[in-house]
Amino acid sequence: MNQNRLITPEGTRDLLFEECTARHRVEDRIKEVLLPRGFSEVITPALEFYDVFSLPRHGLPQENMYKLVDRKGRLMAVKPDLTMPIARVACTRLREHPLPLRLFYNQSAYRINPADSGHSDEVDQIGIELIGAGERRADFETLVLAIRSMENCGLSGYRIEIGHIGIFNALTARLGLSPDQKEDLRELIMSKNYPELNDRMEQMRDMQTAAALRQLPALFGGEEVLDQLGSLIDDPAINEVIEYLRLLLKDLKELGVDNHVSLDLGIVGRNEYYTGIVFQGYTEGIGDTVLTGGRYDTLLSDYGIDLPAIGFGIDVDAVARVLRGSWNFQLTPDVLVFPYPGYEVKAMKEIEKLVQMGFQAEFAVCATSDEAKLYAARKGVPTLYFVGEDIVEVRV
Amino acid sequence: MRNIRIALTKGRLEHKTVDLLEALGYDVSVLRNKGRKLILEIPGTNIEVVLAKAADVITYVEHGVCDIGIVGKDTIMEHGGSFFEVADLGFGRCRFALAVKKGTDFYSGYSEKTIATKYPQISRRYFAAKSMDVRIIKIEGSVELAPLLELSDGIVDIVETGTTLRENGLEVQEEVADVSARLIVNPASLKIRKKELQPLIDSIQQAAHQ
Repeated sequence: MNQNRLITPEGTRDLLFEECTARHRVEDRIKEVLLPRGFSEVITPALEFYDVFSLPRHGLPQENMYKLVDRKGRLMAVKPDLTMPIARVACTRLREHPLPLRLFYNQSAYRINPADSGHSDEVDQIGIELIGAGERRADFETLVLAIRSMENCGLSGYRIEIGHIGIFNALTARLGLSPDQKEDLRELIMSKNYPELNDRMEQMRDMQTAAALRQLPALFGGEEVLDQLGSLIDDPAINEVIEYLRLLLKDLKELGVDNHVSLDLGIVGRNEYYTGIVFQGYTEGIGDTVLTGGRYDTLLSDYGIDLPAIGFGIDVDAVARVLRGSWNFQLTPDVLVFPYPGYEVKAMKEIEKLVQMGFQAEFAVCATSDEAKLYAARKGVPTLYFVGEDIVEVRV
Repeated sequence: MRNIRIALTKGRLEHKTVDLLEALGYDVSVLRNKGRKLILEIPGTNIEVVLAKAADVITYVEHGVCDIGIVGKDTIMEHGGSFFEVADLGFGRCRFALAVKKGTDFYSGYSEKTIATKYPQISRRYFAAKSMDVRIIKIEGSVELAPLLELSDGIVDIVETGTTLRENGLEVQEEVADVSARLIVNPASLKIRKKELQPLIDSIQQAAHQ
C-alpha cells in the first residue's frame, strides 16, 4: 500500500482532543481582548494569486512559498502571510470604509521550512491590523493589545521587545549604503552577529556612525539603552526616534503594563517591510518568537492606496503548547447512558436533561449492557445510566 | 526555571572549549572524564553542558532546548538557522578553500565544472555568487579522493595546514572563507534570561580573547 496514504506531509500534523481545545482556548482569550475594542474579523482565502506576495519592496522569498497553478495557468500561492491579503482587501472592498480599519484575523499561514528542521509549515495565527492610523496613539494601542493578549492567555513569563526601524534607516543613510549593503547589514544586526558586523564597520569612513551601528544589536534592555544610543550619535532623525520611544514607554508605564516590556534597538525587521516601531514577543519554554509586529506604512501603496498601518500576529499553537500543561481538560464524558431495547427515546431525553444541567453525557450505541460497561471502563467514564422502566445509576 | 544549558561541539573544538570554561573558573573535571553521560552538570553552578555533533549544536540552540552553543563557522555557513551569533572565539581557525589538482585551473574553458564537497550549501552559494552553474556532488569522507578519481574538477573543503592536499597532489586555488569557533545564543533565551546569560556570554568572550 502507498505509505503516504497514512501520514501527513512534513511540517504538518493532526491536532487531537486537548490540542484542539487548547488552540481554541488561546484564540478565544485573545478574541476576548480584541472584540470589545472594535476589531472585526476578516477571513481571506487559503489560495491567493502569487502576485499578492511577490511585491518589489516587501516581497517574501519565493522559495518559502507553496505554489500551484490555476485553470488559466496563473501562479497561485498557499498563503504564506496573513497581513498581505488583508492589505489587499483594505485597498479594494474596504476602500470606501471609514478609517481607521480595525481588523483581526485567525487563520493559518503556510511556509516551506528547511527539511528535517522540526518547524511547522502550517502556523495558526491570530492578529490585528490597524489600518489608516499613523499616529503614536495607534502604536500605543497596538502595543497595549499585544501585551493584553499575551496576558489574557495566562502567560506569566513573557516579554515584549520594542525597537524602531528609524534608527537603522538613519544610520545606514548616513553611511550612504547601497540597498544590497543595507540588507547585508540588516541580516548581521538581526542575528546579533558582532564579529562580521565589526568587520564590515571597520571599512567605513564615518567612524562615529559605524560605531553606533556596531553597538546597535547590543542595545537591548530598559530605557537606559536610549541614553546609550543618544551618547553614541547625535542625529536629528535618531533623536526624534529616541524621544518617540521614551513617550511610548512612559504611556505604557502609566498604564501599568510596562513590566513585561523592554527595548531591543537591534530589531530591524526584514527587507523594507517595516517602517516604524517593530516588536517581538517571547515566552518561557518556546525558543522562537511567539508574537511579531510593527508599523508598515508603505505596504498598502503596493495594492494601490497609500495608507499607514500597524499590526501584530501571534503563533497560537506555540502559546497553546506552553499553557497546555497547566490547563485542565475534560476528555471523557461524565455519564454514559445505555438504553435497553425500546427505551432509546427515554435515554435521549435523559441525556438532554443532563447536558442542560452542564454535564457531558454520551449516548451508548452498543448492543448490550455488558458492552456498555466494558466501553465505560476502557474509556474511563465514571458513571453509567441503564435506562429501562427505571433509570439505574452505576459507578464504574 | 531549568538550568542554563550550553551545547559544545564534540571533536575538533572540544578541547579548546573545555580549556576556555576552565579559564572561567568552572570545575570541568566532568567534561574531561565524561564517560557515557550526555548531560553534564558543572558542580556548584546552574549550568549544564551537552556535548553534541556540530550541526546538532545549532539545532539544539535554534529550538531553545540549549541556551548557548559553541560551534564552528563552517557548520553555521552550511546549516544556517535563526539564532544570535554573538562572538568570534578566535580558536579553531582554518579556512574554506577551493582546491584543484596541482597545475590545473578550475575556471579555464567553458565546459561545466564539477565540485566534490562535504559542504554542498556553501559551495552552491559560492558559485552562484559568481553566476556559475556548477555540478555539486556531496561526499561524506575524504573529499580529496574525488579529483584524483576524476569524479570532480575541484573540491571545496576546510584546509587547516594543507598537508593532506600536498600529499595528494592537490593545491589551493582560492580561499572561500575564514572559519573559527563562534558563540551562538537562542534569541528567546537571551531575552527572557538576560540577567544570567549576558554576564556568562561576556565572560566567555573575554576569556577567549585573553
